Amino acid sequence: MRNRLVSFMVALAAVLAFAPAALAQAGQQQATAKASAAPAPKRDLSGVWQYQGSGGAESLVPEKDMPPMTPWAKARFDQERPGYGSRAIPGGNDPILQCDPIGFPRVMFMPTPIEFVQAPGRVLQFFEREHEWRPIWTDGRSLPEDADPAWFGHAIGHWEGDYTLVVESAGFNDKTWLSPAGYPHTEDMRVTERYQRADHDTILYNISVVDPKAYTKPIVGPQKTFKLRPHAEIEEFPCVLSEENSFTQRIREPAAAKPTK
Amino acid sequence: MKPKLVTSFALVGSLVVVCGPLSAHHGNIAYDEEHLITIMGTVTEMAWSNPHCQIYFDVKDDKGKVVNWAVESQSPGILKRNGWTKSSIKPGDQIAITLAPAKNGSPVGFSGGNKGKIVFPDGRVLRMNER
Repeated sequence: MRNRLVSFMVALAAVLAFAPAALAQAGQQQATAKASAAPAPKRDLSGVWQYQGSGGAESLVPEKDMPPMTPWAKARFDQERPGYGSRAIPGGNDPILQCDPIGFPRVMFMPTPIEFVQAPGRVLQFFEREHEWRPIWTDGRSLPEDADPAWFGHAIGHWEGDYTLVVESAGFNDKTWLSPAGYPHTEDMRVTERYQRADHDTILYNISVVDPKAYTKPIVGPQKTFKLRPHAEIEEFPCVLSEENSFTQRIREPAAAKPTK
Repeated sequence: MKPKLVTSFALVGSLVVVCGPLSAHHGNIAYDEEHLITIMGTVTEMAWSNPHCQIYFDVKDDKGKVVNWAVESQSPGILKRNGWTKSSIKPGDQIAITLAPAKNGSPVGFSGGNKGKIVFPDGRVLRMNER
């Protein structure tokens, strides 16, 4: 009896020794969010930017605000078994689990940063997620007619004033999900984005999706924020099937298996 | 062997500290992110790879039986921005991990949320909250 009590006391002491660290956790993720005093450069979005979200995979619009689906989209949606959202189940058939490209616009709302690089006639977005990139052409060209379907689509942009880049995208394939919750889209999807540089460290981001074969109304996302991360660098993050499979086997499957007891 | 410290780690090997509730940052349905727990044990492997680095460690249950836990953390890039290197955690290290356990009761968890962390006996802390 006495031994058990001593054991318990030692255990308790060890736990208490670890407790202070548990109390000092809040608010660190957005430590980079303080506005810089420097003025925002004109017509320039260069830098590493961080989507200001929960820290997990997110959607362009909350599920409750998704517009009604067409019968085609509903049938497709019903086949999908997402790992996130209201229908989430462990495991599932999210295409990214087998290293299908995450695609645009889903890639915008991940917890990993995006580097914008400006070159003559284009703005390049480099996504840490999947080590992918997307060119936004600003040389005055039009979107391609009858574009080849692409995972990240085709994008053109123009400046409205000195601080807002407006981007139109089309020419997507229909293999990607719009969001981690498993919403589909067709090859006719068109996306409009507005990158408004509100101050040196802030982009206010508005996005809308029009896809009448899948949704009866446009999908209009709430305004989102990206913050500049002057000290962050894009790291390597390719999707490698052998690594993905190993992770699935060692983590996803045991975490998703039906309880044995 | 450092008797005192190791003994105390062994004694609390199965002890679970409830830290929750908190919001579901990761959103992965497999994990109970409303009820974080802290578990102590001995590292057996650190897998530094995408999509998420994994930490494997041995935990003694209350009958003295050793169970190897598998813990999902964050991508190497995110860990690097939090100050980690691939040798921040090595086999043999004694650690306390705060994680969201799998809802199915398997010895699997997710420590990559904003409140996930690793604490060493000397007080050193590794976090994963800087994306």
